[in-house]
Amino acid sequence: MAVSTTAVTAAAAGMPGERRGEGRRPGETDGPVGGGSPLGSFIGHAVLTLLSLACVLPIGWMYATSLRRPSDVYATSPLPWPLSVGNYRHAAEVIPIGPMLFNTFAVAALTALGQLLTGLLAAYAFAAWRFPGQRPLYLLFVGTWLVPFQVTMVPNYTLLLRLGLLNTLAGVVIPTLCTALSVLLLRQHMESFPKELLEAARMDGRSSWSVLWTVVVPNLRPALAALGIVLFINAWNEYFWPAMVLQRANSMIQLGLRGFLGGTEGNDWGGLMAASGLACLPIFALYVLLQRHIVSAFIHSGLK
Amino acid sequence: MKKSRCSGGIAAALALALAAAACGGSSPAASSPTAAATVPELRPDQQVSIVFESYNLAQAGPWTDTFTDMIKKFQLAHPNITVTAQKPATATASGYGSAAAASVQRQIAAGNPPDVGQLVFGDLFYAVRGLGATPLDTVVGHDAVQANFGGTHPFAATARTLGDVDGKTYGIPFVFSTPILYYNASLFTQAGLDPAKPPSTWAEVKTAALAIRSRTGKDGAYIDCLTKKAGDWCYQSLVDSNGGSVISTDRTRLTFADPPAVDAVTMAQDLVRSGATPKLSQEQAYPAFARGEIGMILESSAAEATFRKGATGASPPWDLRAAQMPSFDGRTVEPTNSGAALVMFAKDPAKQRAAWELMKFLTSDEGYVQLTSKIGYLPLRTSLLDDPAGLKDWAAKNPLIKPNIDQLARLRPAVAFPGDNYVQIKDTMLEAVESVVYSGADARSTLAAAQDRATKLLPKA
Repeated sequence: MAVSTTAVTAAAAGMPGERRGEGRRPGETDGPVGGGSPLGSFIGHAVLTLLSLACVLPIGWMYATSLRRPSDVYATSPLPWPLSVGNYRHAAEVIPIGPMLFNTFAVAALTALGQLLTGLLAAYAFAAWRFPGQRPLYLLFVGTWLVPFQVTMVPNYTLLLRLGLLNTLAGVVIPTLCTALSVLLLRQHMESFPKELLEAARMDGRSSWSVLWTVVVPNLRPALAALGIVLFINAWNEYFWPAMVLQRANSMIQLGLRGFLGGTEGNDWGGLMAASGLACLPIFALYVLLQRHIVSAFIHSGLK
Repeated sequence: MKKSRCSGGIAAALALALAAAACGGSSPAASSPTAAATVPELRPDQQVSIVFESYNLAQAGPWTDTFTDMIKKFQLAHPNITVTAQKPATATASGYGSAAAASVQRQIAAGNPPDVGQLVFGDLFYAVRGLGATPLDTVVGHDAVQANFGGTHPFAATARTLGDVDGKTYGIPFVFSTPILYYNASLFTQAGLDPAKPPSTWAEVKTAALAIRSRTGKDGAYIDCLTKKAGDWCYQSLVDSNGGSVISTDRTRLTFADPPAVDAVTMAQDLVRSGATPKLSQEQAYPAFARGEIGMILESSAAEATFRKGATGASPPWDLRAAQMPSFDGRTVEPTNSGAALVMFAKDPAKQRAAWELMKFLTSDEGYVQLTSKIGYLPLRTSLLDDPAGLKDWAAKNPLIKPNIDQLARLRPAVAFPGDNYVQIKDTMLEAVESVVYSGADARSTLAAAQDRATKLLPKA
């Protein structure tokens, strides 16, 4: 379900303006998995089928369990029968799922948008200009990527405490508004952007700000979409930081899901599976809506 | 040359980034001196706000609801005290264990520790030595602390000292269990066993488990005390009940490789080797027993609600029953305790007094009526179970609590390992136990090697 960073890196490295089939060497085909031979094709598809099943099975089991009767959650039949929405009703009674999903969506969207915006501006600066200290600054960005969260969490937590932002959604979002991932990927992509286009736009009298939004961003749309969805999913899946900031409120779905895990008190599997099933739906919806952009970005990168 | 400059640049940038990341980090606060005299009572018009951190507030359903309700009732009774309740921040997927202590530690580092925390007993020494927990005897006086253990329905005598460190009371024992043998009476009947006579020794457990396995095709018995995930409180019950201990009484020498521990682990290994015990993790065994696929499980009573839900929801329903922990031949069971105590971290006298009022309320008769009837926790004020105004009706409907109450009378406190490395020592011990029981390693040499490694983690004298 998650889009790998590798794939996005490849997508971001793709040359804008390339079209399907361009740049293909003679003799190369866009054939099916497994090459030309029937046996290779069969093995390739068999492996892909198994991998797909392995990916889908846990999700299917989650929805199957969520749709069993609450008394049947320990049943091991692959198909739930009789069907019941009892677990969904129970989950909705125990935690405020609707507000939690809304808050989580808002936090994930704001985080992803903030990271895209800061990444875009920083990457534009790194790619379009040469200035003193550029390389050390860029390496500092690389360096922050290598610093684990555990190192920065207490200083960030202390800062939020002093700013009075603990136990607020703003406290979850603000420290994560800038990420090296988006700077690095967008800078890499902009580096391959034809400089002549930028110069032509400037000669036409456009300001740097205008060039960014009217020339660069439209051409970066596939990469921005692919990166945006990864950032959104990262923010959506983040548990530890919201758990640290929101100790006094269960205002995000991740913390709500954790509430069904009781350790020695026993896990509430029915409620957990129902709430998890609902928590996955916005991500599914996002994939469906942005599928064209994402696939397009990956195709471009694949042909590079 | 170019490569070298590049590497140097990266190294310098990384160093800068690390330095920048480390800036602003603060060191954990050392324990501050506590008040020499008892703190004054609050004036009726004196407004005080305190923070209460409990891992029960992280669990949705009756746990959160009950605690929220109890805090509301406390505030009605003490309108000048405002309680802000919060859960620990933890990255663990299930259970809390030392995560609750880590959460308090992080907040101390940031300068905003909770005023009262619910910490597991294994963290108590660290809470005192490493987190600066406040000695209750100093704050409100020894007599007041002891008086709180008394009342119409006094605390079980064996529970009163569980929160003591070096002769001072730092924690009020709050919620805990002893190891209980839950069993599937329906499987017993199917296997030709008498469900009215559950096994009382480990030898009988093996016989019954093998009978269940051979006659019903289900698994026999699972001891949820022998993995790192299970924690060490229940494992200590096994070792203690075989005449041993995991650490010397002066807490300077590890003893978990001594013959009683080796024999206890060998017994568990034999259950696995003979097929009486399935090779399952805790996460697998819990639901398997609830599904009716295991005949017996040694477990905390905290799991009872899960088992009951599984038993009544199964098709057909099966008969859940409970018995005391089995003994080793010729020995008496010495059950240890799981669970948590309420520990005070407040330093301000007014907050200390307010925190003490909250601790008294949560461990009052009314508190235990709520905790037991709504969550199922063991009432440490045991005579409530005989009081019609207390829990008598509840006890009549919940007979499975009886073995736990009976074991409470001869409770032996689970010990916490000393020093800052207490978690590593515990994990080292349990990894060795797990390796012996489930992977067939040699008990004597494996435990001895683990004990040698763990001894190096003990605090230096």
